[in-house]
Amino acid sequence: MRGRADASAPRRRTRPPGLVLLLALALALGVGAATCAPVAIALSPGAQECAKCHNAENPGTISVAGETKPLAVDLEAYEASLHGKLDCTGCHIGFEPGPHTAKQTEGWLQTAKLEACRNCHADQFTMYESSFHGTLVFDEGSTEAPVCADCHTAHNIVAPDSPEFRRGILDLCARCHGGRGETFLDSYHGKAFLLGDEETATCPDCHGGHEILPESDPASLISDENRIATCAKCHPGANTNFAGFMVHLNPQDPRDSFTVWLFWLAYVLLIAAVFTFGGVHTAMYIYRGIKDGLYGRKHS
Amino acid sequence: MASTVVSTPEQGAKPRTRVEYLRFNAFHRWMHFLVFVSFTVLVFTGMPLKYKDTEWAGWVMDAIGGVTAAGVYHRIAAIITVAYWLAEVTFMIVSIVRHRGRGVFGPGSMMFNKKDLRDIAGMFAWFFGKGAKPQFDRYTYWEKFDFTSLVLGTVIIGTTGFMMWFPLETTKVAPGIILNIALVIHSNEALLAMGVIFIFVHFFSAHIKPESFPLDKVIFTGSLPVEHYKAERPLEYARRVREGTLDEVLVERRITWRTYVADVLWWTFTAVAGVSALLMSAFIIWSVFD
Repeated sequence: MRGRADASAPRRRTRPPGLVLLLALALALGVGAATCAPVAIALSPGAQECAKCHNAENPGTISVAGETKPLAVDLEAYEASLHGKLDCTGCHIGFEPGPHTAKQTEGWLQTAKLEACRNCHADQFTMYESSFHGTLVFDEGSTEAPVCADCHTAHNIVAPDSPEFRRGILDLCARCHGGRGETFLDSYHGKAFLLGDEETATCPDCHGGHEILPESDPASLISDENRIATCAKCHPGANTNFAGFMVHLNPQDPRDSFTVWLFWLAYVLLIAAVFTFGGVHTAMYIYRGIKDGLYGRKHS
Repeated sequence: MASTVVSTPEQGAKPRTRVEYLRFNAFHRWMHFLVFVSFTVLVFTGMPLKYKDTEWAGWVMDAIGGVTAAGVYHRIAAIITVAYWLAEVTFMIVSIVRHRGRGVFGPGSMMFNKKDLRDIAGMFAWFFGKGAKPQFDRYTYWEKFDFTSLVLGTVIIGTTGFMMWFPLETTKVAPGIILNIALVIHSNEALLAMGVIFIFVHFFSAHIKPESFPLDKVIFTGSLPVEHYKAERPLEYARRVREGTLDEVLVERRITWRTYVADVLWWTFTAVAGVSALLMSAFIIWSVFD
């Protein structure tokens, strides 16, 4: 007993300072957390200025291009997003504190959701400008075609390779391309995606993100010229035949492929025939078995 | 009944024995066991993909560890399938060669013959109360259908499965649309096979039909009481008596505590398979009406 007490004595002497330090740290953190709690969101000074009005306590709305939008911003989500440390005026260019004048708010939606992005993301913007979606917006003045914020959102921007973004991408595309979304989900990639596979290919992996172009455009990722290379990103060694696999084929539509449709139809008829015959045979057998009192009879 | 049980009451220490009819040898039983295990795994790892947008597909996938793990199990079961298929075909060829081709279309064969057509008509007549139930030889027509559809179906589902497992190799020799066709065939052949095994033919013939209800253990035990077999397959019995080959299939089975343990095991096996089959069938019926 004595020996053990002696042996542990030096160790015990070193322990209290460590413990005190730890307790002091915990106390400091606790006090810090308690006092800082109301302003725990570390917004930039500029953004804090905006947050004075645009917070959860402000239930006001504003009408923009016929759309009613809330004045309140989810500051917590914004702070957690990739842009969380930026000033609001980085995107809401020209806005000043105090009630915003008409001059400031004129066309701000287009500016904030599209043009402002170029200041930092020039490369992506250039790709987008000449893409199918960009052409619709810039050349044809479409208000339906997606701009940056339609896919990336405004205040909740996350990394495009994050599981969160990849999970949501199909819904984004399906807003306009619903039918393609359905056929995608019927393909192996789509089935795996729906059942939780994070790795499997979804829309942008084949079609691209900012650079989306129609199949007929030679520069498109899915054009005859580029499709093999696009498949080979995940399937090294892909050849022309491999790239000829039709991801968006609907087997139940003879206009997509008459051959595949014939196989589908043949199986539907075969299954119907076998199950009907099997069902009738089974039901009749049970019926006769009961009627003749065969159930429960000793077999031997 | 008494004739089949040879008890020796004056020597109580000796185990009870019973003369039984050997219907399935060890090879048959092993084949069935491998089909049983691999088929169940294939169904549970594959069907959620076919019905991917249902709630239960998510439950099943979560229960087996996700879609990637399911893919691995599916491929392991596929390899077992190839192995048992090759073993079965080898066994058939060896049997045919050994018998010098005799009896391939005979009454004791798995091959369809004219009597099967008469039996189908006879069974339907019996169903409607117009005549006695037909007498069967070694295999009934639904057993032949069960077996043949498995042997041929495995070729179809296996070929298309391997095409999708090795898409790069497949498209070296065939156009890309073959992968679209492969998926349609694989997926529908799977539903067909599942319906045949789990509902309409196999589980019915082994558990639900009056002669077998609630469980026909013979594929596990190999043999069954002679009187029982004589009643179920009178033509084979009569044929063996006539040909003098009955002795070849009569075995003396010792009834010990191990027999009862094994019985519990077979019942457990069957209960698990039965519940699984009912569950998957219910899931699919739910999807159809959802």
